[in-house]
Amino acid sequence: MAELTQDQLLWIYDRMRLIREFENRASALFAAGKLPGFVHLYAGEEAIGVGIMANLTDRDFITSTHRGHGHCIAKGVEVNGMMAELYGKATGSCKGKGGSMHIADVDKGMLGANGIVGAGGPLACGPGLMAKVKGTDQVTICFFGDGAAEQGTMHESMNLASIWKLPVVFVCENNGYAESTPVHYHSASKDIADRATAYNMPGFTVNGTDVFAVYEAAHEAVARARRGEGPTLLEAKGFRYFGHFEGDPLSYRTEEEIAKNKSNDPIDQFRRRVIDRELLSAATLDEIDARSKAAIDAAVEFAEASPYPELSELMTDVYVSYR
Amino acid sequence: MSTVGIIANPASGKDIRRLVAHASVFDNNEKINILQRVLLALDAMGVKRVAIMPDYYGLGERAIDGVKLASLRVDVIDSPMTSTEGDSTVAAARLRELGAACIIVLGGDGTNRVVAKGCGSTPIVPISTGTNNVFPVMVEGTVAGMAAGLLALGAVDAENTTYQAKRLEVYIDQELADIALVDLVTSSDLFIGTRAIWDPSHIREIVLAQAVPGRIGLSAVGSCIQAVGAQHDTGMYLEIGTGGTQVLAPLGPGLVTRIAVREHHLMAVGDEVRLKSEAGTIALDGERQIEIYPRQTVSVRLTNNGPRVVDIGRCMAEATRRGVFQRLGAEPIADSR
Repeated sequence: MAELTQDQLLWIYDRMRLIREFENRASALFAAGKLPGFVHLYAGEEAIGVGIMANLTDRDFITSTHRGHGHCIAKGVEVNGMMAELYGKATGSCKGKGGSMHIADVDKGMLGANGIVGAGGPLACGPGLMAKVKGTDQVTICFFGDGAAEQGTMHESMNLASIWKLPVVFVCENNGYAESTPVHYHSASKDIADRATAYNMPGFTVNGTDVFAVYEAAHEAVARARRGEGPTLLEAKGFRYFGHFEGDPLSYRTEEEIAKNKSNDPIDQFRRRVIDRELLSAATLDEIDARSKAAIDAAVEFAEASPYPELSELMTDVYVSYR
Repeated sequence: MSTVGIIANPASGKDIRRLVAHASVFDNNEKINILQRVLLALDAMGVKRVAIMPDYYGLGERAIDGVKLASLRVDVIDSPMTSTEGDSTVAAARLRELGAACIIVLGGDGTNRVVAKGCGSTPIVPISTGTNNVFPVMVEGTVAGMAAGLLALGAVDAENTTYQAKRLEVYIDQELADIALVDLVTSSDLFIGTRAIWDPSHIREIVLAQAVPGRIGLSAVGSCIQAVGAQHDTGMYLEIGTGGTQVLAPLGPGLVTRIAVREHHLMAVGDEVRLKSEAGTIALDGERQIEIYPRQTVSVRLTNNGPRVVDIGRCMAEATRRGVFQRLGAEPIADSR
């Protein structure tokens, strides 16, 4: 495993905590009727986004999914703008016109959450091709879910990335359910990473609740892409605490499964292990907890105090003019 | 009539060495094919019952589904499915309790390690379907099935056709923490992460229960210096670092590299070595398993407490000598003259 510095460990915990805090708050705000539109929450999957992004810089790209808040935060998108976007306010990342499922920040390499399942694959091949043509060492991560794995777009994208040897890492976040459909019901292969063989690329299944395992696997896949050796398919198996969307009654999940998920909480695992190894102290981690909470309090305050977009802005930025 | 047990690991042959080295994927459909050939052989030998560990992939069910058997009854046993390595240990113990004559294991070194923790004195028939395959053997499933059948039928003498494997016992602060069948490695990696070990610069010490030339993996560091057979009463300790010798060794698929060995010596069965390594991880049979915390002490003892292992070649040879194959399944053949 590539050595993780103290600063990286702190960054990993900070990002995971901030995601958890953001999602818990988004759930409460949605329940209180304060957020328009739908939210799909990432709590439980923090180790995947953060473990992957710990290997990237702002010059690298990601394409995201409908469950994109965690990807945004891990990629460095500001939470004030994200929260304001959820509220539909003019100060939001997309000026309040995108909402939860379309948060983007091109300066951070975050090419957008996406409401269309499986749409990230073809998008990821774009910056992948750009990096290859221009000869840069930029890498693109394509996040997709276990449900998206069954979409034709993903098969086409992985095939294309492989024949063109694009620097793209396909990361399947397998949280066990496509909406409410369990993986075993819709997938002929039990491990989605097994499909990599058919695309002539390496595939590997990693424990998506263990940020160290995700970091290590991504480190190798990203390095491979930077070396110009082509794409990799990583499958990170984990779980989500919340339903597919807020309001999902979760009737498909057993009490036993919920208890098992809690015992595998990625943030608790990280905390326990770095304290036991004497790498970070409990007091330092508690400070980060408090800071994350304060950051989300401030983001909510910022969003609530922000104005809605002017009616005159309705058509601005909606279509790109190529003239 | 004895039962034959089967443990097939759906996760074997799939670790990160597909990404960091050039290991081939051991596809689960191929494991199903092997299982079917094992079942057909057991059926032809006249074995009446097989019990298989359940797993998330359904290797057992899928194998049964696609094969026509004359009189062999195959059951997938009731055993926990947590998709962790503990499943194989629990299943091995259940198969032992069921009175299995032997347990056929499909996996690599890691799978055999966890089966060894549960199988007690029940002999195992290790078929290689892993990444590191020092302990199991590359053998056609049909032949492995026949050898298992010979034992179940009592057609060969178990004492003569099996051997007692060695094992490495790792003690942390004097408490037995775990075991390995082939190799134990301390690494500077602080976390278990993706488990596999492939970067020689992270390896600190190696303890080997066997070092057979021609095998791949961490035991190759030892076997490229001195051979230690699986059935010899010795093991080996190596400290990695400069100041001693250097050796070119196949550490993984496609990964042949020079590694500096500061010191090495043979160990006799019963010997214990105190490891020098401090914080890091311990890999057992190729997979990081234990995170070592500051101030913990680690020692390793070489013992003869490993599982009994069926020597497939010896089994088949003894059956031939005894004329078993001329009698088994014999029916009068009509004389066409």
